[in-house]
Amino acid sequence: MYDQIVMAAYTFARGPMLWAAALILCVGVIYRIRELYLLTVRKEKRSLPATVSATTPTLTPEERTLDRLARIQQSAFAVHPVMFFVSILFHACLFAAPLLALGHSLEIYRAWGITPPSLPEPLIDILTTIVLVCGLFFLIRRLVLPRVQAISGMADYVLLACVMTPFLTGFCAYHQWFDYTTVITLHLLAGNVLLITLPFTKIGHMVFFFFVRLCISSEFGPARGSRDWKA
Amino acid sequence: MISDTSPTEQLNITAMRETLQQHKKRMSLNLKACAGCSLCAESCFLFELNDHDPRYMPSYKVLNSLGTLYRKRGRVTREQLRDMANLVWRNCVLCGRCYCPFGIDIPAMIALTRQILREQNITGVYPHSLGEPEEEETN
Repeated sequence: MYDQIVMAAYTFARGPMLWAAALILCVGVIYRIRELYLLTVRKEKRSLPATVSATTPTLTPEERTLDRLARIQQSAFAVHPVMFFVSILFHACLFAAPLLALGHSLEIYRAWGITPPSLPEPLIDILTTIVLVCGLFFLIRRLVLPRVQAISGMADYVLLACVMTPFLTGFCAYHQWFDYTTVITLHLLAGNVLLITLPFTKIGHMVFFFFVRLCISSEFGPARGSRDWKA
Repeated sequence: MISDTSPTEQLNITAMRETLQQHKKRMSLNLKACAGCSLCAESCFLFELNDHDPRYMPSYKVLNSLGTLYRKRGRVTREQLRDMANLVWRNCVLCGRCYCPFGIDIPAMIALTRQILREQNITGVYPHSLGEPEEEETN
């Protein structure tokens, strides 16, 4: 009976649920981008009085070095170096591990006859381990640091679990821990849940981050930005 | 530190909801995008000046003022609004220097909270321009 339920869940998660999740993800991301686009307008070109120089004042090489140093000193890299590196590592592995997993490539090959690029399995195992360790770091940080505790709610822990479960179950499945069919079914279900929740929850910062950083003009942004928030 | 010109007056929930509705899309998006990373903390000089008290963190101020108003859809008490006024006036001078790694416009959200509170006849004053809050109360 248990095996039948697991197999039914496996078939559902690998078939209709995966299609639905992929569709929801695509539509959700497009909806988010459209929403952001509609909330902004093309930036107006402001003309300055003739007496005010419209260009950045010319800096001497020494001043330029000092300016760069000051910017670095104020950045997250200097203020929170550990968090900075853990975040970058986490996000890089978070994308690389599932997109370049050999198992995922094989599934795509079986379904459509195309072989996306993949990395050797031991390397994917390392990337997954990095994601899990970083996830643990974020969890401990949220539980221990008063400043993070103060702005944490149940949703933050649930979402962290949503992100970590596909990696944890994928890791267990690769190492053949516990009952393989159950673990791989949980992996599929958790992966689909993550895809569905992505555009509609805080994890949607994936879309927001790039749009805001690259399109909206901001003092802190890396790009000048061609758009501005609507008044 | 809070000026409530009509403390017994009923809240105008309709007006509050209208203002919230007017800015709903952008503000709810901003609130949703906050990952709670707390990296905005050091960008607030008041956080630095107050021994890293989390109540001075830009994200804390926004989530516990405008965040609460959105979550409760304006169904809040006057007392709660007074607490919010403390957050957005006493704990924030709206200098606009707060930094969010995701680009969330924190000052715009604080300004909106102030607008909502003003509409309910609740305002705050900056303690920084008047001296210490304790001194102010005893005088």
